Amino acid sequence: MKCEEFEIIGLDAERDASLSEVQRVAAREHASTCSRCAALQDSWQAAGAELRAFAEDTALAQAPARVEMRLRQEFRTQHVTLKARRTAVVAAWALAAAAVLAGAVSWRNWRHGQHGEAANRAIPVPAASKLAESDFAARANRRDPAAVPSGTRQRALAEPGHPETLVADNEMSGFTFLPGAFATDTEEAAILRVRLQRGALGALGLPVNEERAAEWIQVDLLVGEDGLPQAVRLPR
Amino acid sequence: MRIAEQERDDVLLRRAAKGDEEAFTLLYRRHQAAMYRFALRMTGNTWAAEEIVQDVFMVLMRDPKKYDATRGALGAFLYGVARNRVMKHLERRPREIPLEEKNEDGTGSGIVLQDSATPAMWAEKRERRRQVRAAVLELPVEFREAVVLCELEELSYEEAAQMAGCPIGTIRSRLHRGRALLMAKLEILRELPRRASAAR
Repeated sequence: MKCEEFEIIGLDAERDASLSEVQRVAAREHASTCSRCAALQDSWQAAGAELRAFAEDTALAQAPARVEMRLRQEFRTQHVTLKARRTAVVAAWALAAAAVLAGAVSWRNWRHGQHGEAANRAIPVPAASKLAESDFAARANRRDPAAVPSGTRQRALAEPGHPETLVADNEMSGFTFLPGAFATDTEEAAILRVRLQRGALGALGLPVNEERAAEWIQVDLLVGEDGLPQAVRLPR
Repeated sequence: MRIAEQERDDVLLRRAAKGDEEAFTLLYRRHQAAMYRFALRMTGNTWAAEEIVQDVFMVLMRDPKKYDATRGALGAFLYGVARNRVMKHLERRPREIPLEEKNEDGTGSGIVLQDSATPAMWAEKRERRRQVRAAVLELPVEFREAVVLCELEELSYEEAAQMAGCPIGTIRSRLHRGRALLMAKLEILRELPRRASAAR
């Protein structure tokens, strides 16, 4: 082994695992025969001792606790933000789905209403005078059985469990005036047959049996000139 | 700790990626000291080392998929990230050598006296180590890296080559040149006390 080679690989030959045993032996032999390289090795060993002392100084060095605190805080923030973002996305999708569903149901109801309206166009418009003559005494007070039209009263008496169920005897009679409507408003009125939930009668000011509120029923509405319903009846 | 100490790094990392803070903390505690020491020995600055350690683990936290377990150990990956940060730091401040290391509480780092040395000996020892540290920090970056990895971190040449991302021959060559420079500086330093003693 030459001095140049020894300087590169021989100084640390014992530690360098990439060297072969032959190279190590050659380095050892060179150090024993060359006084300059032996002195260089001694010098390096002394420097190595200095370095080891310096390494020991920092051997136990650790990052301050505040670094861990900051990282954990950042970790929490990052993952909470992610969770919140995911929740918001899920909520947004759920809301969108609900909106689409509500839209679809409304559209379906509207379509049913359109069909009912088309069917009712065939029904002739009764004269207001005839309606006025019919027994609409019930308009004064719907809750008063005495004021209910005769046909309606008969049916109401037949159904004691549902005393307020409205049933008409024929096309021209059996209408119950809605609160605030008068017989005089029914001139040029039209009868409109619609399908709605029983609960919707409540919106017209009529009493509703809560247990059957979700039931779909068909009703005849007496619609005035102004387009507002004046009276209602349940067809047979 | 609920998580077993023997739990593998990649398993912990997967858990951390799913939001398990305990797994992340365990990973941090397992690797922070080595990263901090490396950064401190390379920069000679506690604040810079602290910042580098924080950056390294931020990378792990924000983008855990950057680490590929099939390509090597997590420690090696973290070393690689730390090395990049160190290089960037040194590019920004090539010759930053603090006068005095400070502890977290602002006091000097000092040296723990493990023997019954006199205050004069202790002061001499302290001064000597400061000089060695300064000598290491004055080495050009690539030589310093080889010295830090092989002499201070006591990694094998293969490991050091892997960390530095260069062939083993390059590490050996850098180490040789780094040693030569270091020995020259330390020889000069060694002469100084002798001359001072002789003057007395």
